[in-house]
Amino acid sequence: MLATVFAGFVFVAQTRPAAAQQEQQQANPTTTAPQPPPLQVAPPPAPPPSGPVIVLDPAHGGTDTGARGENGLAEKDIVLQIARAVREQLARDGDRIVLTRNDDSNPSYDDRAAAANAFRDAIFISIHVSSTGTPGTVHAYYDQFAAPIPLATTATNGSKPIVTETNGLIAWDEAQRLYVDASHRLADFIQSDLAQSFSGSPSASIAAPVRTLRSVNAPAVAIEISSVSGSTPDSLAAAAGPLAAAISDGIKKFRQSNSAEVR
Amino acid sequence: MPRNLKIILGILALAVVLGLISLQSLRGRMRRLAAARAAEEQARHAVLAAPISTPTDVTVKAKIFWAAGPDRVAPVEVEIPLSADPVERSRQLLLALIANPPTVGQRTLPADTTLSSFYILPDGTAIADFSDAISSEMPSGILSEEIAVNSIARTLESNVPGLRRLKILVHGQEVDTLAGNVDLTGFFDLNSAPVAAQTVSQSVKPAAASSVAH
Repeated sequence: MLATVFAGFVFVAQTRPAAAQQEQQQANPTTTAPQPPPLQVAPPPAPPPSGPVIVLDPAHGGTDTGARGENGLAEKDIVLQIARAVREQLARDGDRIVLTRNDDSNPSYDDRAAAANAFRDAIFISIHVSSTGTPGTVHAYYDQFAAPIPLATTATNGSKPIVTETNGLIAWDEAQRLYVDASHRLADFIQSDLAQSFSGSPSASIAAPVRTLRSVNAPAVAIEISSVSGSTPDSLAAAAGPLAAAISDGIKKFRQSNSAEVR
Repeated sequence: MPRNLKIILGILALAVVLGLISLQSLRGRMRRLAAARAAEEQARHAVLAAPISTPTDVTVKAKIFWAAGPDRVAPVEVEIPLSADPVERSRQLLLALIANPPTVGQRTLPADTTLSSFYILPDGTAIADFSDAISSEMPSGILSEEIAVNSIARTLESNVPGLRRLKILVHGQEVDTLAGNVDLTGFFDLNSAPVAAQTVSQSVKPAAASSVAH
């Protein structure tokens, strides 16, 4: 991503003088100076797609199976199946959907975050299945950061402050810190719907330091279904419909609350 | 019977006898190796989970946070000898947390987990270094990993004054996650989270005096 931006910047910097020269020539068509051959420049890179995007992240993948049930169920397979079903349902509502993986690969945490950070108006939903918990319940999580130690304290022991924000730049590893409140609201909206669809689920979301969410520069929520133990592939796959409905409804309420705040 | 056939049959009989002898020998060697491994495991636990006793030990009612249902932890009051020294006190508490859950269902950390080292920095940061088992034998999932970390953090903050935050290491190293989900690269706030529900009072023999079941 950075490389693309940098390449774009360099491209702009290199082509600007040529464009200026061309404009000058058009203004003075009588100039007889020898003309250099026209530059063969590549077309400019396509701008990033605009508009809201929902990034669905099926957790784990590849050699990282995630939770495993006694019946041979692997979290990585179930979450991919559920993510595909959720994508279809959300796409029917007209949302633009991106999957962080659509096969048995295992993108790094940074690659998963980058899938959301490439867009200006994204919402990141990571889908998990747990090893434990009451089967049939679902929990929504938003990221939780430790409170930064005051600088006066860190200066005495030589350690770095946790927040490294300077000149408006945010450290990649801390990107979610700016969105904790927004993610909390989104998680609560989704959890409220989940509590109605999945009996026994809590009514409020939970704060937890989920690694996948930390570098996401957008509202981000992890949703975990319980569990690979005590569930069948069919029962877990059947969760996709109500899960998609809860995600879709939660996102709508979240956007409405944002619009109300702007007004 | 032809002479050649007799020779072949003789060689075959000899091979069978030699095979049986070596099979017995292999079985014996396997038994000895298994016994040695078990003894090694016992010795490792005897060293790493050895009873901790200090001159300042006083038997007090400590609050140890074990699982209370599938998705939360709650304190259980345990009578246990605890040191006045915060480092030793923390080690005694974490040993009890690992070794003495009242029931199997209340266990929050894998039974094979050992606390390799524990120290406290001057700014109140507690560093707890656990063996690989805390990661390799932990059931993967945000819920189970969060319960594990919560049980450690809440047990320390309820019984060791002055701690501000917790850092968890695995086998002496900083790791990305506990078992694929919960982030261990940062710190966990202590003495800031709401304390869970009702305290269940129970008399449990102290970790220092108990043997670790494996």
